[in-house]
Amino acid sequence: MLGQVLFSGLALGSIYGLVALGFVVILKATDVFNFAQGMFVVCGAYLAVTALSLLGLPFPLAILFIILGAALMGMGVHAALIRPLSGRPILSIIMVTIALSIVMRAGIEILYGPAGRTLSTPLPSGGFLFAGLRISQLHLTAAAVSWLCMLAFGLFFRFTSVGLLMRAAADSHEAATIAGVKVDAMNRLAWAIGFTLAAIGGLFLGQLQIVSTELETIGLLALPAVVIGGMQSIPGAILGGLLVGVIEQLASTYISPKSADVMIYALLLVILLVRPWGLLGQKAINRV
Amino acid sequence: MSDLATPKPAAAPALPRAWPRRFILWGLALAALAYLPVLLTERMIFGIYLSNMTLLNLGLSQVNLMLIAMLGALSLNYLTGCAGLISIGHAAFYATGAMSAAVIGTQLGLPFPLVLIGSALAGAVMGVVAGLPSLRVQGLYFVLSTMAVHYLVAYVFLEYQFRVFDVVGVPFGTPSLFGFELSTPMRWYFFLLALVALVYAGLSNSLRSREGRALLAMRDHERAATSLGVDVRILRIKAFGLTSAIAAVAGTLYAHYLSNATSESFGITFAIQFIAMIIIGGMGSLKGSLIGAALWLLLPSIITGFAAGFGGGSGIVGSMLGEHRAQFVQLIFGLLVVALLIYAPGGLVSIGPKVRALLGRWRKG
Amino acid sequence: MASLLEVDGISASYGRMGLALDRVSLTVEAGSIVAILGANGAGKTTLIRAISGLLRLHGGAVASGRTLLDGQDVTRFSPDRIVRLGVAQAPEGRMVFKTLSVEDNLAVGAASLPRARRGERMDAIYHLFPRLAERRGQAAGLMSGGEQQMLAVGRALAAAPRLMLIDELSLGLAPLIVKAIYERLGEVVATFGTAILVVEQSARIALRYCDRAYVLEGGRVALSGTAGELSSDERMRDLYLGAAAGH
Repeated sequence: MLGQVLFSGLALGSIYGLVALGFVVILKATDVFNFAQGMFVVCGAYLAVTALSLLGLPFPLAILFIILGAALMGMGVHAALIRPLSGRPILSIIMVTIALSIVMRAGIEILYGPAGRTLSTPLPSGGFLFAGLRISQLHLTAAAVSWLCMLAFGLFFRFTSVGLLMRAAADSHEAATIAGVKVDAMNRLAWAIGFTLAAIGGLFLGQLQIVSTELETIGLLALPAVVIGGMQSIPGAILGGLLVGVIEQLASTYISPKSADVMIYALLLVILLVRPWGLLGQKAINRV
Repeated sequence: MSDLATPKPAAAPALPRAWPRRFILWGLALAALAYLPVLLTERMIFGIYLSNMTLLNLGLSQVNLMLIAMLGALSLNYLTGCAGLISIGHAAFYATGAMSAAVIGTQLGLPFPLVLIGSALAGAVMGVVAGLPSLRVQGLYFVLSTMAVHYLVAYVFLEYQFRVFDVVGVPFGTPSLFGFELSTPMRWYFFLLALVALVYAGLSNSLRSREGRALLAMRDHERAATSLGVDVRILRIKAFGLTSAIAAVAGTLYAHYLSNATSESFGITFAIQFIAMIIIGGMGSLKGSLIGAALWLLLPSIITGFAAGFGGGSGIVGSMLGEHRAQFVQLIFGLLVVALLIYAPGGLVSIGPKVRALLGRWRKG
Repeated sequence: MASLLEVDGISASYGRMGLALDRVSLTVEAGSIVAILGANGAGKTTLIRAISGLLRLHGGAVASGRTLLDGQDVTRFSPDRIVRLGVAQAPEGRMVFKTLSVEDNLAVGAASLPRARRGERMDAIYHLFPRLAERRGQAAGLMSGGEQQMLAVGRALAAAPRLMLIDELSLGLAPLIVKAIYERLGEVVATFGTAILVVEQSARIALRYCDRAYVLEGGRVALSGTAGELSSDERMRDLYLGAAAGH
């Protein structure tokens, strides 16, 4: 029983980690704590519905459609909302992302109707027994793809030239401008990446559950994940995602499904009071 | 405590000849406020019957809910706009108020004034507890701690509701203030109007006091306030206690007005709507809180009214409005908030003077 | 033939405050070291920002005048474009990328070069500042002030600039380190032919290491000339070199 719970917790946690990674990329680049990340997840799920069910695209093309669509939307959000507000007080920035999520939710419900939809993809959906555990292939695929994406982006930031320039821009906008980096383009790219990672998470979450705007709450679990792991830390986001997934599954199995949120946020509160820079973060508080 | 009808002393010496005009304006405003519930109940004016459309599809109930929301918006604006503490936990204080009202009123059967006092106290205690992390963390981290408090309270409410009552929710009786039963919307209206006026006057008085000025200074520059000889940290927690007490009272009234509350009543979106109200009205302006709350509570009805008016037509807009009314309202509010944040960060109150200046120039030239 | 950099009557201001620069003109010839001197608030940093296109980032703007680079008007170019035209900057307060390693800091500077030239360029910088080579893998934020200044200069050099702007080079550094850095700059000019425009607080240092100097006062050029001319100038002696000068 415990093993089963841990398996699904880690699998879901991998998806949360992926969404949280997107969140941290945005946070590091533009200092925006993005409350719309949950709706980005929803958007990904609906992009998948559009590509697969409405347009009937073949699966590889559908994936391309989702990634391109999400990247474009991320750039659009940055250009329309984030750039005009740069340098404003923190509440304005938080609120604009909240307002964005309200607008997105309303827009999606108007376009697609408020009822949920099922998403079916050619991904394997069966299960098999392994070491006494019932392993769902979909969970396994989701986890594997999440880890692949996280690895790919880790390598991208570490070893490519664009990744280096993005890290430089995130370190200091002014210094990067002086060094000749196109900071604006880097920030736009960060939003594109952040949105895309959330959308990939949405593709899987939409398939594991039902595609509806309610997925936002699940997507928003990236927030506590990021804080628990350490605001500015990429490995921290992934660790935080895994922890949140495991706690969620443990709480809903052994206490009650409704207690999952409170357990996660209780841990968040403890972390904030005891170790505000997070598990893997660096002790440089008051910056944000 | 100053009366709402007293003109601001600052304006009086500069404009001595405006005195009678000011009195007349205030008198007219009071008369209008007193007549409004009659108008909305009888639905006629000077013997002429008014259609639903003419009244903008408004009823007294919406006005009452608006007054309750004004309490929430006023307290949040004091906390966020004036004291500089951002809170996403406002719904939790509403919930705290409703919960303590359920214990004191519904379960113990104590009279309503005690219920109000009890919920204010519970709200204040909860506020102080929720404000404690501000001693340790700031900015975004503090925002998150209020969010965590929200989820904790929401869970307690949920457990309470299902242990003591059931899925239908927590019931609340008709409140009675020393024999004055709040049994009709009309009675509620006058009670709430007085309460909003009282809270408004109290908060604006408090902002003029030494501590209030220190709060404002602290929002802008923490060091400036410290040099005034005030302990910033204590002041912050006081502000949190005060505003949470007001929010808890608002929560109690909200639950009583609807005569029922569930854990769904006070979700995170409930908290967010108050932030939206103060952004729309004007951050840091008590007047702005009233404007924001009014718009947030009344505009949906007005839009719905128009939708019903267009509904007969077969146009796409009409049918879309009919089918997705709630979503359209959300869409409009979301876009309004975004537009204000980008173009008028001071909210609608900051637009007023600009428009007046433009009009003045237009009239002259 | 046009000078490498020609600032032609630049006026600039921040918002509604008065002019921070008032019709300032100066020229920098290829391969020379030119100093900008002046008290705090004289407009030295503003001048550097006006040249590098960074004024807008700080809420300022060029009101009139032009900056010409090899005769090309670059007044309204974006900062990254100016860097790619060969003008790199080591800003006031160093502004290294604190969380990045020394190597990554230099790599960001070299990113505007063609891929094939980057490695060779970085080796040249390590050769010039062996200290940076020793600290290659260290996070820049953990280094001393002098090392950070070397890194800031190194990062600017990594872009293989024709003109390097250095703001407040000696501020807060021990005299020995300042001396070391200026000697390296002499080597840079000799080996790469890079021209240097440096904001300097100490007139004495400037006149020792630079070919020419401009003295700003209240946003205007009050004095200018070669190091030799200025050293013997009465006003220069009184105001900037102090009574002890020359003894």
